[in-house]
Amino acid sequence: MKDQNFEIITVAEDTLGEAAAGEWYDAANPTYTALIDTTHRVSSLYNFVNVPSAAWIDEEGRVVRLNEGTYSQVISLGQASFGTDEYRPAVVDWVTNGPDSPYVWSQEQVVRKIRRRTSDEALAEPTFKLGVYFYERDEALARTYWERAQALSPDSWNFHRQDWNLTEGLGGPQYRAKRGALGDKDYYAPLELGVEEPR
Amino acid sequence: MQRRTPMIVAAALGGVAIAVLTASRASAEPVTVLYDDQVIEVERTLADPNDLWVVPADLPRVNGFELKPEGACLEELCVPVLQDRDSDMFVTRAGQAWFNVTALARRLEQAYTADHDHRVWSFGEIPVTRTRFLRSAMAPDFELPNRKGELVRLSDFRGKKVLLVTWASW
Repeated sequence: MKDQNFEIITVAEDTLGEAAAGEWYDAANPTYTALIDTTHRVSSLYNFVNVPSAAWIDEEGRVVRLNEGTYSQVISLGQASFGTDEYRPAVVDWVTNGPDSPYVWSQEQVVRKIRRRTSDEALAEPTFKLGVYFYERDEALARTYWERAQALSPDSWNFHRQDWNLTEGLGGPQYRAKRGALGDKDYYAPLELGVEEPR
Repeated sequence: MQRRTPMIVAAALGGVAIAVLTASRASAEPVTVLYDDQVIEVERTLADPNDLWVVPADLPRVNGFELKPEGACLEELCVPVLQDRDSDMFVTRAGQAWFNVTALARRLEQAYTADHDHRVWSFGEIPVTRTRFLRSAMAPDFELPNRKGELVRLSDFRGKKVLLVTWASW
């Protein structure tokens, strides 16, 4: 799809940078633009609280769709091939048809979809970044700030999972407990691929 | 005396006096500022347990603002700052001007926090710079390294459709 003026940019939200993301990128042998984001900057900027999340950005730099939980083989990363590929045809439709694609949202819809932050959640951002700053210098201190960020922003999976991954490994007891506590609340926002939404 | 000094000034002084009195000593102790994904070392600050004061020349590195005659400005946005007298935002000590970065942050509702033991100040996004995203759905620009360490900007891809996807090893 490269010749259709289309680019996939993947951003690894990994405090350990290349050390953590590198082997995954190696396995995927990507043909897309692969970036490393040690401070979770993109999640900060786009108000994302989990991965994978996605923004569709048009030729003029406008966001025309925002999704949390973008499960698709279109972005599969080696062993980390995510769920189904129901997302892929939607992307292809947009790349082919541009603004006429039924998957494209109006400005108003995108704006409505942007997650709003409370003042506590806003404070969680610089607090999390203090933790990232201290991680290589003083791990215990980093945890203090990460736990504070988690308390300020309990809905941010980014802030919880980055911390737990570095301290108890993937899918450890704290992660399972929090995930279990969700009950029928969505771990990811629903994909909403239906095109019957008002445009 | 000459005129009745307005009550507002007296009242304001109550709050300002604390800042001004505590911010009385220039300090050689450097601080570290985290903002906009940058780690910024600032050599000179005023000693103040509550606020971060920097010389105006350091302001652009610290938060992108520039102190102009009309105030502290970031592109078309200017926050008025009186510079012929001391205030909660601006003081002169021994001929050296100092600007209160944290007072500006409070004015702009920019979240910040500090590790005082290590003298590290961490600032969040400035809300007023976010309106193009929050109200007009324009994609926030950013610059990040690729795996070779080369910096890539989102806006480098203007003119193309971009599918921007976050993921993580965790």
